[in-house]
This record gives sequence, C-alpha cells and structure tokens, in this order.
Amino acid sequence: MSFDQILSVSGLRTYFYTYAGVVKAVDGIGLQVNKGETVGLVGESGSGKTVTAQSIMRVVPTPGKTVEGEIEFQGKNLLKLTESEMQHIRGKEIAYIPQDPTTTLDPVYSVGDQLAEVIMRHQPVSKKYAITKAIELLRNVGIADPQVRISQYPHELSGGTKQRIAIARALSCEPSLILADEPTTALDVTIQAQILELLTALKDKFNLAMVLITHDMGIVADTCDRVTVLYAGQVCETGTAEQVFGNPKHPYTEALLSSVPNLALRKKHLSVIPGNVPNLIQPPSGCRFHPRCSYARKVCIDKDPELESMGDGRIVHCHRWKELDLKSAVAS
Amino acid sequence: MNQEGTSQTAEPQSARPHGVSQWALAWRRLKKNKTAIAGLAIVGAFVVMAAFDRLVALYPPRCIVGLSPSCPSPDFVSNGPPTLTHPFGTNIDGYDVYSEIIYGTRAAFLIGLGATGLAILIAVIIGLAAGYFGGWMENLLMRVTEVFLVIPFFLLLLVFLQVALKFSQFSTGGIWIVVLVIGAFSWPGAARIIRGETLKVREFEFIAASRQIGASSWRILFRHLFPNVLHIVIVLLTLQIAASILTEAAVSFLGFGAPGSNTWGQQMYTSANFIADAWWATLFPALFVTVMVMGFNLLGNGLRDALDPRLRE
Repeated sequence: MSFDQILSVSGLRTYFYTYAGVVKAVDGIGLQVNKGETVGLVGESGSGKTVTAQSIMRVVPTPGKTVEGEIEFQGKNLLKLTESEMQHIRGKEIAYIPQDPTTTLDPVYSVGDQLAEVIMRHQPVSKKYAITKAIELLRNVGIADPQVRISQYPHELSGGTKQRIAIARALSCEPSLILADEPTTALDVTIQAQILELLTALKDKFNLAMVLITHDMGIVADTCDRVTVLYAGQVCETGTAEQVFGNPKHPYTEALLSSVPNLALRKKHLSVIPGNVPNLIQPPSGCRFHPRCSYARKVCIDKDPELESMGDGRIVHCHRWKELDLKSAVAS
Repeated sequence: MNQEGTSQTAEPQSARPHGVSQWALAWRRLKKNKTAIAGLAIVGAFVVMAAFDRLVALYPPRCIVGLSPSCPSPDFVSNGPPTLTHPFGTNIDGYDVYSEIIYGTRAAFLIGLGATGLAILIAVIIGLAAGYFGGWMENLLMRVTEVFLVIPFFLLLLVFLQVALKFSQFSTGGIWIVVLVIGAFSWPGAARIIRGETLKVREFEFIAASRQIGASSWRILFRHLFPNVLHIVIVLLTLQIAASILTEAAVSFLGFGAPGSNTWGQQMYTSANFIADAWWATLFPALFVTVMVMGFNLLGNGLRDALDPRLRE
C-alpha cells in the first residue's frame, strides 16, 4: 500500500435483493486509486460500473445492499462509518458527477442556490460568500457570464452548461476524489470533447484523483492513467492504459478493443462480442465470461479463476492468460 | 409577445438580467388564461367583501330592520320581497338578506381556509411520509387512508357533527367544530395524490444528486422533495377550499351545522321552510355559494394548467 494511495476497494460485493432473486451486481470488485490519477472503469452496460461508484459513496438504491468488502478512503473504512459521518464525506471529500446532466439539478432552485447549498453544507460560510464562491466556480468550469448564470434556473440552460454546473458542484468543496459516472454519455460529441478536456484540466489544476466510469474505450485511452475492466460484476483486468490497450491479457478486453470502430483498419463489419451480459441472478459457472469467450476450455466452465497479479500492478482474472497471445486491435 | 418585443427596444437592458423561475413562468401562463383570471377576480371580490363587510353591507349584522335600535328604518317587514332598501328582500325574522349574505362571507372563508388548511396539512404529511420513506410506513399510512376513503364521508360527517355539537359548551364556538370535522375527514384523496407525486419526484436524478452532495434525509425531504410537489399541493388546496365551502353549506342546509353561526348554509336552512312565500331568502345565499365555489374551481383549474409540467412547452 503506497502512501499516496487515496482509495482502495477490495472484495466489494453489492447485491440487489429483488423479487426475482438476488442480483449480484458487484461481486468481489477491487480498485486502487492514487493521488492525482485518473482510473478508468470500463465495461458493458450492466457490468457493475455505476453500482461500484454508488457503493463507494454508500448511496446504493434500495433494494441494493453492500454485503461485504472494504472501502478504504484516506485511511478510513467507509463501510464502517455512520450515515451522518458519511454525509460529511459525500460532496466534501468524494464528489460525484452524474450521468445525465438534464435531470441532476433541482428545477425549483437557481444555479446559485444549488451551488451555495453544497458549499454551505460543508463549510461554515455565509450565503453571500457562498454565492461569490459559486461565481468563481462557474468561471473555473468555463461558463461565460457567471453572474447571469448564477440567477438562472435549470430549464433555461443547455445540456452542456448543466453538465459544467454539475462539475462545478462536484468541485465546490475541493474534494480529493471525483467519481465521474459516464459524464459525457448524454451529450453530443463536440460537447463531449470539451467536457473531457475540462475534467482533465481541472484534475491537473487541483491535483484530484478521479474515477472515470465509461463504456467508451476512446475516452479511456485519452484521459485515463490506469484502467480496470469489469465484466458481470467482476474485475477482468487492471493495468496502466498503455498495458491494457497495447497488450490485453484478458479475452474480454481483447474483444472490447476489437469492437471499437476504427477507420484506419477499414473493416467491412464491426466486430461484436456475441451474446449478452449474463443474468446476474444465476451467473454462469466458473469464469463468468466463458459462454462468450472464444478461448474457453473446460476449466473455464468448472472453476472461477484466481485474481492473479502479474507484477507491476497488473491483475488478471483468467485461467489462460499465460498461454494466450492476445492481440490489441488498437495497438500501434 | 408584443410586450416583450417593445420592452426590448425601448428599455436599455437592466443592469443584471435575472433567471426566470418555474413559479414566475407559471404565473405568466396563468395570466394568459382568461377563465383562471375570472376565477381570481371572483375570489378577489369575495376577499374584499369579507374584509370590508361593514362597508359593503347595508345594515349592521343580525339587525331586525325597523325594530332593532341600531337599524330603526325602514319599517319592519317579514319575508319582504326585494326592494330598493332591501335588494335581496328580507327573511322571516326581518333581517336584510343582502347584508346577512355579506356577513356570511367571512364564515365561508373561515370554513374554506380552515377546513382545507387542516385537510391539506394532514394530506401533505401523510403523502410525503408514505411516498418518501416507503416500506412499512407507506403500507400503514396508505391502508389508513384507504379506510378513510371507504367510509361514506358525508354520513360520517353528519354523525360526528351532531355528536360534537351536542357536547360543545358554546353555541357560538360551534363553527370551529364544523371546520375541524370537515378538515379531519376530507384529506384522504389529497394524501393519495401527493403520495403519487412524491413517488414520481423521488426517482428523479436530482434527489439522488442531493444525497451525493451529503444532504441529510430531512433536508432532501423539505428542501428538494416538497418544493417539487408544491405545485400539486397548491391546486389541491384551491379545489379543496371550494369543496369545503360546499360541504359546509350542504351540512348546514340539512340542519347539522353549528346553530347560531351565520353561514350561507344556515341562512338557507332557516329560510327553506318559507320558500313558497319568500324564495329570495333561500335563493340568494345559494347563489353566492355557487359563485364562490365556481370562482375557486376556475382558479384551481387554471392553476393546474399553469403548473402541470406535462402541459409545459
């Protein structure tokens, strides 16, 4: 455990107790984030990315429950804190940037009121000071005319502006960790690039650690230092972005990378991964990826592979990683 | 539209342009709605009548015209037809019907606002608690609400009023008992509507977002959930005022109201026996009930159109 580690998640299990059965949305996920680092959390829909973030914040919606695991944040185990201690961490130490900017602002309050709410929740300052600070924040996230915007209401703003405000709100108490849950999914491509640039710039400026949740491999390649690939609530592999992109060790990563559209390769058809993310009430036996894996053997069906450390921080969750020679479709 | 166009050219942009809140937008929509403004005007007229009843009325309250020292002229007439001195005629006791109706306006507001205030307060507490906390609390609260809905409201009201008024010490304080009983029995429908809206708003992303910035449950409930169901509450409030006034009039007309109170329903009750001789003493109070209820209903419908997010452009 290095001293500049800010977040360390291990063996996290979050289950949803539905009428249909227990959905094991997150089943033994581990994650390490160092100071000033961006960690990408990638995977298909339903692989447990968002639930992992919710578990770290301890805001898993009912009927979900974190049943096991350790979330160590700045030396504290978040799962052991009381709800009111946790309320002082949310928004102040760990901030969350939600997926859909159009609905994350309360329609009945002005932008200034909403930013001031967070600032005043965590700092003993006057409303006047909080509003001044809010204007400053809006300027920081590249909003023109912050004095005007501060008195406006969410329905008067565009999606991109709302997402900038959501980012400003996340930054308002100078958190040390930001969880960005697909911050660009609901925006169009040009705005996406702007928002990502902004996030990276702000991260460097304030020396933040960030967990970037996405299913877009392009975004990961551009912005992340390290990557953790999730599948069906479990980690497939972890490594630096260069390692994972240049030399994938898990068949799922290889399949993900080859399904990225790439103009340079001039492929006739996009490659897809056959099948769907498995039903997490009764996950497949052994390795959860085996029904869709082109390298699967009998051992993959029978036995859940160990999480194996390859040294230099890389972790792989596959029986056959030593023998397989996987190719990266995006390497070069 | 026209106004905005001219104001933009005429006025040099004010120092700091301001955002427009949802409430301001709703008010703009309401202003465009003619029937809603008519409702607002009717309600406003009644407010003026209630506030300045001594000025609007022709004679002092409970004054037997021609016999009481406070109103010695003109001559005493029982069940007299409408004339210039008695625009709505006189009733059996020789009261001026017009003046008594004016004095009844305050009672109508007292019943409308009092009973509604109580009913909506209960409805908001139950609706918000059930919708927000869910689980066993929702189950319990909603089953209680359903029990209240199943009971024949009007019959129960009559029984309760009769019992309550029998035991009340002061005959003049009786109107408060009517207010309390109507209020205590007319909340279930509103509670269900508020619960439904709370369930909807609870799932919105901004509620999750306020949890993620470290807000406590109570803060989320009062600062974020309640203001977002307030538009429904306002509409329910307006419509419930009309319903409460109507209920009191019906109860009093049947003779179960507070004896000694001067409400329009009581006026109709005392005059109904003589309707063949003096139709005016019954008709005019009924007309005022109708107009007031209509005013509140028009206003309520207008508010619903102005505040309903589904109709927003």
